[in-house]
Amino acid sequence: MNTLKRFTKWMRGLWMLYLAGLLLVFLLQYFRTLIPLFLQHIIDDIFGSTGSNLPRLFQNLLVADTVQQRLLLVAVVSVAFTFIRVVFIFVQRVLIAHFTERVAYNMRNTLYNHLQNLSFSYHSKAETGDLIQRVTTDVETYRVFVGEQIVEVARMSFLLIFAGLQMFQMNLRMTGISLIITPIVLTVAIVYFQYVKKIFTQVEEAESTMTTTLQESVTGIRVVRAFGNERFELAKFDKDSARFRDLNWRLIRLMALFWGGTDVLIFIQYALTASFGIYYVVMGQLGVGQFIAFLTLLGMIVWPIRQLGRIIGDFGKTVVALKRLDEIMDQPSEHEGDATAEPELKGHIRFDNVSFHFDDDPAHLLKNISFEVLPGQTVAIIGRTGSGKSTLISLLIRLLENQEGLITIDGISIQDINKKALRRQIGLILQEPFLYSKSVLDNIRIMHHQSDTDKVHHAARMAHVHHDILKFEAGYDTLVGERGVTLSGGQKQRLAIARMLLEDKPVLVFDDSLSAVDTETDRQIRDALHDTWKNTTVILITHRITTAMEADVIMVIEEGQIVEQGSHETLLEKEGLYKTLWNIQSQIMDETVEEEVTT
Amino acid sequence: MSYFEEEDFKDVKFDVSVWRRIVTYMKPIRKDVFIALIAVIIIALADVTYPLLNRYGIDTIIATRDLSLLPWFVGGYAVYMTVIGVTVYIFITFAGKVESYLAYFIREKAYRNLQHLSYSYFDHTPVGWIMARMTSDARNLSDILSWGLIDMAWGFLMMIGITVAMFIINFQLALIALTALPVLVFLSLYFRIRILKAYRLIRKQNSKITGAYNEGIGGAKTTKTLVLEDQNYQDFEGLTRTMRDHSVKAAVFAGLYFPSIIFVSSITTALIFYYGGLNVANQVITLGVLYVFVSYVGQFFEPIMQLANILARFQQAQASGERILSLIDTTPEITDTPEVIEHYGTLEHPLKDNWETLQGHILFDNVTFKYHKGETVLKTFNLEVKAGESIALVGHTGAGKSTIVNLICRFYEPSDGRILIDGKDYKERSVSWLHSQLGYVLQSPQLFSGSIRENIRYGRLDATDAEVEEAARLVEADRFIETFELGYDTQVGESGARLSVGQKQLISFARALIANPRILILDEATSSVDTETEKSIQNAIKLIMQGRTTFIIAHRLSTITQADRILVLEDGEVIEEGTHRTLMQQGRHYHKLFMNQFKRRQIDVSMKTPT
Repeated sequence: MNTLKRFTKWMRGLWMLYLAGLLLVFLLQYFRTLIPLFLQHIIDDIFGSTGSNLPRLFQNLLVADTVQQRLLLVAVVSVAFTFIRVVFIFVQRVLIAHFTERVAYNMRNTLYNHLQNLSFSYHSKAETGDLIQRVTTDVETYRVFVGEQIVEVARMSFLLIFAGLQMFQMNLRMTGISLIITPIVLTVAIVYFQYVKKIFTQVEEAESTMTTTLQESVTGIRVVRAFGNERFELAKFDKDSARFRDLNWRLIRLMALFWGGTDVLIFIQYALTASFGIYYVVMGQLGVGQFIAFLTLLGMIVWPIRQLGRIIGDFGKTVVALKRLDEIMDQPSEHEGDATAEPELKGHIRFDNVSFHFDDDPAHLLKNISFEVLPGQTVAIIGRTGSGKSTLISLLIRLLENQEGLITIDGISIQDINKKALRRQIGLILQEPFLYSKSVLDNIRIMHHQSDTDKVHHAARMAHVHHDILKFEAGYDTLVGERGVTLSGGQKQRLAIARMLLEDKPVLVFDDSLSAVDTETDRQIRDALHDTWKNTTVILITHRITTAMEADVIMVIEEGQIVEQGSHETLLEKEGLYKTLWNIQSQIMDETVEEEVTT
Repeated sequence: MSYFEEEDFKDVKFDVSVWRRIVTYMKPIRKDVFIALIAVIIIALADVTYPLLNRYGIDTIIATRDLSLLPWFVGGYAVYMTVIGVTVYIFITFAGKVESYLAYFIREKAYRNLQHLSYSYFDHTPVGWIMARMTSDARNLSDILSWGLIDMAWGFLMMIGITVAMFIINFQLALIALTALPVLVFLSLYFRIRILKAYRLIRKQNSKITGAYNEGIGGAKTTKTLVLEDQNYQDFEGLTRTMRDHSVKAAVFAGLYFPSIIFVSSITTALIFYYGGLNVANQVITLGVLYVFVSYVGQFFEPIMQLANILARFQQAQASGERILSLIDTTPEITDTPEVIEHYGTLEHPLKDNWETLQGHILFDNVTFKYHKGETVLKTFNLEVKAGESIALVGHTGAGKSTIVNLICRFYEPSDGRILIDGKDYKERSVSWLHSQLGYVLQSPQLFSGSIRENIRYGRLDATDAEVEEAARLVEADRFIETFELGYDTQVGESGARLSVGQKQLISFARALIANPRILILDEATSSVDTETEKSIQNAIKLIMQGRTTFIIAHRLSTITQADRILVLEDGEVIEEGTHRTLMQQGRHYHKLFMNQFKRRQIDVSMKTPT
């Protein structure tokens, strides 16, 4: 994609606002360069003989008989003119602000929405910090670019043009003399800001090093204290803090050199304009009013030109920011071209020779998986970390798409079921569930806002979290998530379970989601489920053999393959992994006693 | 928590005491402040003189048509630009020095106090709060006291200079020029504060948006499984809409402010046009004077806008100052008595020659402990631990395990009763002395940015490389360290982020081992690690407990069984005591606890063991 397209695509639909704003900027710069001409009019037309350089329209307004009347007219017209000008300024600012904020608003929304709809595999590979950096800082970079920097560059360019034109209509040679240093100052500014960028980065790095040291020593205060290393920490922080101080000061000294140096350059320009101006006035080639107008117009352009150098130096940043945003936007949404059918499911799940590997990694995570679960049955999947249990579930709810084999529910291939409809009906509870920055109540009923509190309490009771919640200071209104109270792993898991139990679902999947709950509670939750959710198909992924043993079917997964499958009793008859685990379980008492004797 | 929340913008009264305190921190750099101020005075005077230089050209050279005077005029410009160039350089350099150094002094003061503060302070103060004080607040303050102060001096001087110059040149016109002053001041103050408030709202909203992004990205998997995409998007859209509205509102304020200033100043200029023009016509003043007055009116409104801005920022900075001072002024709860300091020295100047070796005999003598809130955790608690004994503390969360450990470390002191170490109340010796003989292995191993070597050496700063490597070898950390390309010089990343949890644990064992402490606290990790590391950790624990008094908040069965004594705690009391075997035989609390907790862990571990 070329840079221009990349640049303009975020402004779609808002062009007119922007153009109107920039047009006003254009007009306003012309207006601005007229201001010095009022004094010129007084000096060269009312008092002198050079004649007014104001536009004809204004000159016509300023005709009167006496000097006093003419002066009064200049005063009144200049105020009236300024009034129009400030109204325009206000309108221009508001237009640009509307444009900019809408652009930012659209960008934020588009990015957020897109991010949410990106595939699961994208999210599992992406780094959260980096993504957040992009969607915040890069959006801001672009916002400042279109809303401030471009406007500023346009303003400066128009101003230069109009100031040049006003100068030109007064005196050609003086125009040349008055604009001679401008390109030099601009060049110096651009070169300087390019150069100083590196040092700026160094300062930022020094600051972040210092912040890291500080953060670590505060977070690790217990270690610092316990090893008695306070003096060491003081010295370390002092070193970082002093380094930041010194680099920062160095940067400022460079700034001082730049501002001081360019001040000299600018005053050389003033000296040139003023000296030649006086010479031409004395020679009768320039009016006194024109001379003063030259000085004033010069002042309008020569000071801000230095800022222009800084802005131009920043252009590269925006290009990089846009590229990074496009990298996100170029990722396809997982819902693009998805099936539309939304059948009501009963929970008859069938895996037929399903295999899976990631596109960029030929190693199979799952291989030739086949099994069947009837509605209302409970199946337990047991296996080591990394054996492929969670991948299997991800395939079932289409977080990942299976490459080989067929997964059907009630005889329908899941490829033909709309993803959202599928996920709504398969209740998956994760081992590390995410809770949103809302109250406990709203977290439990997050999928069903209308649920009344009784229903929520009932679900919470079933998930054995009701009493925990009541112990919180604000009960069900307690805020959880990032800004709220810290919950234990077990409490989070049970809240996530309550969230799932609020409404009936044909399929319920526990992805090791009772791991942080003690065995007794685990059992009680499952019993409660068993009694009320008779028709629900339940898939239990677990480490706990006691949890698995009661399932209708137990599957043992090893390296992506089902190595054993059957009921508890049948599996115990085979000499497999399941039996080994079972033996450890039953021997555990003796073992620990033995261990104690041997040590 | 409310104490730690950022207060909203309110009309702060100027508080002299805060500023007086902060200004004392500028003492070491007062010479630089002085130089910067002198420079800025010269700049302000130069700004006032500049139109007069051109007036000379208009009224003297042009009026007399005497071009022989032109070299003087050029010479005047040459002097002027030199003075400006040099003073601008000096002013920025020294103001920058003040900024950099003042921030540094403030951070240094605050950090020093942090190192002295009691452990309890960190228990109830969020890290983020401390960080904000030492970064953004320090920056705010140093910024306002360098650039802000100097800009203010410039603004005032320039306004006074222009006023004086105008009155000297023409009294009547000066009065006319100044009529708009009160209006300008009013407008500036009115808008500045509103603009500042509007921007604060924007910043707040912005951090909400960042938080929402965080949730959206961090919770992506959950969102997908719950199919909450649309709902989240609607919530998010609400946030960005508010952001947009706030931003536009701020722009409208700013869009009203600047034009209104221009308009008022244009009225002044028009008055000068009229009255000045009349005076020129009546030959009371020259054209040069008219030019000077028009220039002065134009120059006048910049300092006013500046001053309004600085005043508004001063309010913010004062809040920063108050918060920083509250950090610097917090006094440590646990301090050594003067007698102890005399004998043992201070934290920064320890008298190590007077420090006796610690044997490790510990006695809790009727210890009661309550937190500030008044909740009693321990009540007349008694415990004797022989030197070299290892004690496993077992019990539910809140049973008092951490409290006992924190008391031994003197992170907290008993509310009542005494703790005797080697037969002497530990308050009769210095905190540093105790800490120098202490080793702590944390539940979540806390490493620092730097190399592995530096992290192990953190246990004893004067340890040689050979000693560091020996310690790593003993805890079997050498195995994974040697697989790294850079070996011991491998950077561990921020808080050790580049290492796995198990690796971090092993390094923290090596660190404790090299410290060779007399008392070791082991807060065992609950997180499970791979089998091989698990074995290494178990070996390391066995090794590290040898020959020292050890307290273990234990989660591993193997660790507990190795302890000389197990204390089962409930509600701050020891309800059972003995070895694993005797306690299992009793079949009471420990037995029950064991059945509930450790059994499961054992199965989890076995699941990870290759068959």
